[in-house]
Amino acid sequence: MITISKAPPYLTVQDAGRKRSRAAGVPQGGAMDSFALTVANALVGNPPDSAGLEWALGGGSVRFDRECVFATTGATAAITLSGTDVAPCTTTLARAGDVLTVETITGGRFLYIACSGGLDVPLLLGSRSTYLPGHFGGYQGRMLRTGDWIPLGPETAPRPKRGFHCAADLMPRYDTAIVHVTRGTHGSLFDDAAWARLTESEYRVSTASDRTGYKLEGPPIVTSLGALPSEPGCPGVIQVPQDGFPIALMADAPTVGGYPKIAVASEADLPILAQRRPGDPLRFELITIEQSQRALRRRAADLNTIAQLALRSGEREPRF
Amino acid sequence: MTVNNPVAQPLGDSAINITFRSERSPELLRHVHAAARSLSSAGIPHVYDVVPGYLGLTVFYDPLSTTYREIAPQLVDQCTRFGQESAAHREKREHVIAVRYDGIDLESIASATGLSIDDVVARHAAGTYTVDLLGFVPGFAYLSELEPALQIPRRPQPRPRVPAGSVAIAAAQTGVYPLDTPGGWHIIGYTTTVMFDPARNPAALLAPGDSVRFERVP
Repeated sequence: MITISKAPPYLTVQDAGRKRSRAAGVPQGGAMDSFALTVANALVGNPPDSAGLEWALGGGSVRFDRECVFATTGATAAITLSGTDVAPCTTTLARAGDVLTVETITGGRFLYIACSGGLDVPLLLGSRSTYLPGHFGGYQGRMLRTGDWIPLGPETAPRPKRGFHCAADLMPRYDTAIVHVTRGTHGSLFDDAAWARLTESEYRVSTASDRTGYKLEGPPIVTSLGALPSEPGCPGVIQVPQDGFPIALMADAPTVGGYPKIAVASEADLPILAQRRPGDPLRFELITIEQSQRALRRRAADLNTIAQLALRSGEREPRF
Repeated sequence: MTVNNPVAQPLGDSAINITFRSERSPELLRHVHAAARSLSSAGIPHVYDVVPGYLGLTVFYDPLSTTYREIAPQLVDQCTRFGQESAAHREKREHVIAVRYDGIDLESIASATGLSIDDVVARHAAGTYTVDLLGFVPGFAYLSELEPALQIPRRPQPRPRVPAGSVAIAAAQTGVYPLDTPGGWHIIGYTTTVMFDPARNPAALLAPGDSVRFERVP
């Protein structure tokens, strides 16, 4: 098990989310940057849908109460293990009693920590992710606090080799401000001027941003469209309320909504969008659904490469 | 009801929105629910979720196993040719929800509608409502159609916390808050019925197309 020895301001259990309960009004949820969490899982030999920690807003520490391997991905942070620096995106051994300390997050927004065996919290609606607005999932439906402890599950595959590192060119380009989008279901209701605004302006993530959605600041997109009949949405939808300031729907967004959906962020770029902090710039580039799905398949292929390399690294040496 | 040429559009990489018509109506909604059931039971490969909306439905699929171009025509085809018998074969689900009509907004509803409190309660409890769709929060069902005399706009300022079990009205709809959440509807009463429990199967008590009546209890 692991124990939260000093909880940061935000810490939850997340996995790949709930993908089959939308008709009951249950949002997809799951990790905001699910690519990063999946990479962390691959680096410790876990199946891709295993649960890990989603960490934000400040420092804290976690104690390993049993030996395991762990990896950190997503946001950049100064991290140590019992005083020794921890490299990001690297399979690292923790012995029972070791303490992982996150000093501070220096870039990006959400840090992920996966441990071999995964966090063993109950499955609800096919997922271990925490849905804070509904007070269910993850650890008792809430954020983790100092003193909480979570069991680790059984390890089902050989551990990758200690020090195995994921090549940077297989990760999303978090340093870019460009998020590709496809036309949304109401894209044709916006005129050329509105589209020019969206694709030629710089927007910034506002402080009104959380796991439900990111409100964007920048040139407002003028629309005479009011509220429309409610239609299903999904994470990545860029909707335009009456005030003209777009909102990017994120993991915990409600399943249906009535604001016009001008565009949808390409899933391959959702990690980049999710990791933008308040004040960070953002530009949208329109691509076709074919281009977007190709980019997603490339992302999936990169993930598969990471998982295969990690797996093979472990087969060459006996388990420690 | 006949619906010609449903229109498919991508909603991002993993979903397809299929629109039947541009104006909402109770007939269209019944068609949407029947089409959603037909699609859910058709066993189309790579499809993992079907979600009804007011003008059509949205199908979620695995874009790593198929593409938009490949799957869109199959889904449209299924939506065009599903038989009306699928609607008839469906198990008719009717719910009766016991309500204690002593909501915090009961008096203001009465004064806004110009009805007596007893009349407000009697009219709300007399209706048979249909689940249009679920959304807002898990298990929250939008129920139609409230009788015209009870229709008042949402509260100008939402409350930061509405307790789970609150039965509320706004415009032409009524509903039950399944969880403690912020909310802008007028609270007419309370129920102890559990509308949503993630550990239950199905988790949500109500499903699109179900019918609901409210029964007054002391």
